[in-house]
Amino acid sequence: MSETPVRDPRVAEIESHRPYLVRYALAQLREVEAAEEVVQEALLAALEGLGSFQGQSTLRTWLTSILRFKIADHQRRAVQDRARFADGGDAHDEAWLDELFDETGHWRDPPKSWANPEAAFEQRRFWEVFEQCLGRVPGAGGRVFFKREVLGEETDEICRTERISANNCWVILHRARIALRACLEVHWFGGEARDGS
Amino acid sequence: MEADVDVDCREASRLLSAAFERELSGEERIALRRHLDECLMCVNFEAQLDFLREAARRYREG
Repeated sequence: MSETPVRDPRVAEIESHRPYLVRYALAQLREVEAAEEVVQEALLAALEGLGSFQGQSTLRTWLTSILRFKIADHQRRAVQDRARFADGGDAHDEAWLDELFDETGHWRDPPKSWANPEAAFEQRRFWEVFEQCLGRVPGAGGRVFFKREVLGEETDEICRTERISANNCWVILHRARIALRACLEVHWFGGEARDGS
Repeated sequence: MEADVDVDCREASRLLSAAFERELSGEERIALRRHLDECLMCVNFEAQLDFLREAARRYREG
């Protein structure tokens, strides 16, 4: 990979979209290794085809469309055992809620007020933290959240493709949102990572 | 908490999240509103859910 000449600044820009593309692929393929593999294929194809990219769409959109082809290829090749998907028991298990709420139903770690949160959108570092937090959402949550909120899929559709009940789907999403907000509160809004200015 | 507030934070947060996926019943909405009138923590949580949705949307657009 390091052989690629870096004359075209878009080469580095292509690479910067890798985490997004991996999560996109992960949402479809459910396996980290498979996701990284198809992203690698897509990025190589993109580098080869960079000359044909005219910039009518954003680079990310263009990369995503290449990735979609690679994912479709992969799905055709692979005979995957989708039954392995583990939403299962743990969606019904409410033990995670006991960690978040005390016996009187109050937050153990109450959500704080985030000052001027939209300012975060302008900061590159925020998106790195956001990505890391997204990656840390446990279990199926990260993938389901990505489909629901990043890709904007309807909940019904997600439930169907994930083969889980609507109720499980809601529990998984709820859990993912709580995990994500907690992660951002600690790693961004807690002040640790924010840019000085 | 007032005795007439019939959902706690645990339930209120669940309803706030569920409202992104389905329409809440009238009863649920009333109970939730009543809780939010008294609970700043859950008001913060509600604002954070909106923030997450907006962040995810912008993330998609790169």
